[in-house]
Amino acid sequence: MILATLLGLVALPLLALRRRTLVAYWGVDVATWLLAWLLWRRLPSFDPYLGCVVIAVVKLATFSLFLARGRDVRWSANRAALIAAVVYALTIPAMLREHTVIDGDEPFYLLITESIARDFDLDLANQYRELAHSEVGRTDLGPQFGDPTGANGEQYSRHEPFLALLMVPGYAIGGLHGAMAVVALFGVLLVRSTIRWMEDEGVSDDAARAVFPLFAFAPPVLYYATRIWPEVPAAFFFVEALRGVRQQRMKRWLPALFGLVMLKLRFVLVAVPLVLFLFRRRPRALIVGALVIAAPLVVVWLITGSATNVHSWREILPAPAPRYVKGLFGLLTDGMSGIPFQAPFYLLGLYAITRWKETPRGFRMGLIAASLYILYLLPRPEWFGGWAPPLRYLVFFMPVLALGAASVWDRISRGAIALVSAWTIGLVIHGVAHPWRLFHIANGENLIGEWLSARHHADFSRLFPSFIRENHAAYIGVVVVVAVIVFGVRRYKYDLAIPLASLALAAGLAHARQPSSRVEFEDAHVIREGGDLHPPYYTMMRFAHRGGWVVHEGNSLSFLARKGEWTLHAITGLGATIELAGHAYQIAPSDTYRAIRVTIPENGRVTLRCLSGSVNLDRMDRDD
Amino acid sequence: MKQLCWVVAAALSAWACHLAVQHATPVDRALPLIAVAVTLLAAVSYPSLMIAVPVLIVAEVALPDEGMRLLAFGVAVAIVHCGALASRRRPRRHPGDGSETPAFPVCVTAVVLLRWIPLGSVLFVREVLLLALCLGIVYALGRTPFAVAVGVLVALFTPAMPLRTLLLPALVLVVAFFVPKVQLAWVSSMAVGLVMLFFAWSGVVARAFPYFLRDTRPAHARFLVHQALPANASLTLDVPPGTRALIVSGANVAHLRRGTPLGRIEPGNIDIRIGDASDWGYTRRAAFYAARNPLPRDPAGLIRDYGYEAWLDGAGRVPLPGARTIHIVADAALPQGASLQVEGFELER
Repeated sequence: MILATLLGLVALPLLALRRRTLVAYWGVDVATWLLAWLLWRRLPSFDPYLGCVVIAVVKLATFSLFLARGRDVRWSANRAALIAAVVYALTIPAMLREHTVIDGDEPFYLLITESIARDFDLDLANQYRELAHSEVGRTDLGPQFGDPTGANGEQYSRHEPFLALLMVPGYAIGGLHGAMAVVALFGVLLVRSTIRWMEDEGVSDDAARAVFPLFAFAPPVLYYATRIWPEVPAAFFFVEALRGVRQQRMKRWLPALFGLVMLKLRFVLVAVPLVLFLFRRRPRALIVGALVIAAPLVVVWLITGSATNVHSWREILPAPAPRYVKGLFGLLTDGMSGIPFQAPFYLLGLYAITRWKETPRGFRMGLIAASLYILYLLPRPEWFGGWAPPLRYLVFFMPVLALGAASVWDRISRGAIALVSAWTIGLVIHGVAHPWRLFHIANGENLIGEWLSARHHADFSRLFPSFIRENHAAYIGVVVVVAVIVFGVRRYKYDLAIPLASLALAAGLAHARQPSSRVEFEDAHVIREGGDLHPPYYTMMRFAHRGGWVVHEGNSLSFLARKGEWTLHAITGLGATIELAGHAYQIAPSDTYRAIRVTIPENGRVTLRCLSGSVNLDRMDRDD
Repeated sequence: MKQLCWVVAAALSAWACHLAVQHATPVDRALPLIAVAVTLLAAVSYPSLMIAVPVLIVAEVALPDEGMRLLAFGVAVAIVHCGALASRRRPRRHPGDGSETPAFPVCVTAVVLLRWIPLGSVLFVREVLLLALCLGIVYALGRTPFAVAVGVLVALFTPAMPLRTLLLPALVLVVAFFVPKVQLAWVSSMAVGLVMLFFAWSGVVARAFPYFLRDTRPAHARFLVHQALPANASLTLDVPPGTRALIVSGANVAHLRRGTPLGRIEPGNIDIRIGDASDWGYTRRAAFYAARNPLPRDPAGLIRDYGYEAWLDGAGRVPLPGARTIHIVADAALPQGASLQVEGFELER
């Protein structure tokens, strides 16, 4: 793998750079190797695999910089696709490194692929029985809750079979790796289509070259192009459909639209506005479009006996307004699943919305086409994507935002671009080095917050806005992110983006080290001696429950808290006695959460001990 | 107005770094100074180099391991200096007349970061004089990247203690007027980057540079002995199980040259010479000018202090014969007041 990475890193500049730019790149390349060698000598205890990933990603970033800024660059959509193919080919083995297994919906898609390839059917009953012989690598799989069954005991998957069907050739050639290669191939096609789309929409080569790595080699596209999810193929079909509609070419939009809706039923919501766009110019297209949209419903009905599969028509009905607000703000700001923290490049695409009239028509059309889908996504309980790498439900939409960012590239602050790039490099290093961490329990924290909290034993997670478990930073975060999109990203004559961001970062980190006025007992900053997480880690729809930490007699928790009166939220079935900061409190048995008034006499670290019984401790709020 | 904007940027960056400081080393405390240096270089080259400021803040907060953290600072500072040195800007007076390297700012920031940390031990008159000499060298060599590299390296290798060591930069300045203008942009950038990488221990870079090119062994436990043997004195020790090597150094032997005997280990008749071990404090700034010791072949010393005051103690590893008991004899020819110091045994775990 190391040899392949080295060869890939040598090949990348040869694909695109020429003459002086190539020589300059080799100079920086030599310097980078020298730096890496020196660091390797000085840091013998540093994780060697992480070190290799850091070097590879830094070299990719260096190459991207030369690609964007170099004078002697050969550039075309095909070259971009070739570069993406090299990078994705190197990333797939990293995603399956050592004991890392595919997760979330991935194993189910692979099981369907296996079933088609081996049994020529969609019945997974025998696949579940013979998991030991499967490429999935998971023996703990079983039918998911609500999976459809057949009249003769057939066990179907809730997932549409089109992606699995597409992966069959790859699977037949290379098993799991082959199946992933098929998705990566769609990633390559997506990159090519997106660059061609940018050309069609009049985006300059300079802007396209600059945007290309931030789109193709950054989250979420990189993660979804090298794993088994329908999102990247959907993004490819979406871009092709948009290009087809813009060019009025039925040969392009018809198969693309068909592929899109066949991948996932939810993409019908994207197809409907697109068909309406077609209808404006060619009324006859409405009939073709309607047939395309009906196709997946018919297929699903034939397989499961229900045209909507595990969904219901009631899901189309409007939800209460606060749920839309929560979903929208969550996608905008959430620390675990929001754009600024998980794919900051697309903030630049959101900025393009504020320059609506200056953006290409394709961007506006893409945005309008996706708006119905997004409207239905917002109120759903799993707006954040569920057990999947971040921004799952928005991946198909990212090429549109990338086009928007490219179209206003010259109007964006260079400091903001530097910040976005640095953050993106960090995200890529993290995701490639630790692919299993792309999946995060929906508990209101994110990995950075958890990591810093665990290191400093202070609540750093509260710095990150959360709409999964709403915190104080949530609505402040919304204001900040909107201000950043509207004012912060814009290019001014005097650019103070980096110093201001540095100051905000330092002030935030300094604040996080202070005791907080809310303590969530399941969070990483709490030092625990005994007890259990509640509900257990892999509980289905865990985010729908009130999380907490169950302590039994003799267990203790220690955390930073501010002086004052607090309310402790806890539940116990048998009753319990706890000691907190030197005071004993008795909690009566109850079948609902109780609010207990407690006192913290001094700012600083306090200890909570369970003296008798067991109690599920949810959180503690300071009474201001 | 543009200059005012950069002043504001420097102030904000310094404030941010001041807020972020949470470790007690002089290098951590100098973060605001580093931020100002970064801002200055960004102002004269690529403004995006300012990204080093948030990187410094993140490293300060996220890396509790001191060595790794200071090295992360070094990486950021080295990249900023390399980037600035490799940049080209239009001359302000004659914009159509090609491009020039921001030589003076790079030289100033490099010298300040290499020599002015910790700030409390700076000899200001000497340092200002040295800085002026270095800027003179840069000017004389044509303000090219090569000129900056020469200026920075001369500043680094001049102890300025005793005062007469300032003759070295003065001599280089005189010679510089007769040397043709050379660019050597890549090599020079890498040379400056290399020394800036280790700016947190610039004293060790200046006085024991090969140390940074050798393998750093993971920290092993030591069984401490702490015995000093004057001439002819001897010591018998039981070798603890799992011992890797004996750690020895010298006291008051800084003036001895490579190969001078310090003592002997029996059985095996293993000689301990200058080169196997050195004077314990020979790389201290005040002692280095008079010292004649080389860096031990297998250095076991620890880096002490920070910045230009950093030094490496002269302990070295000596392989043991494999016996359970060893007898160490200090050489009879050791000068008055000198001794062989047996520091301890290095253990496997």
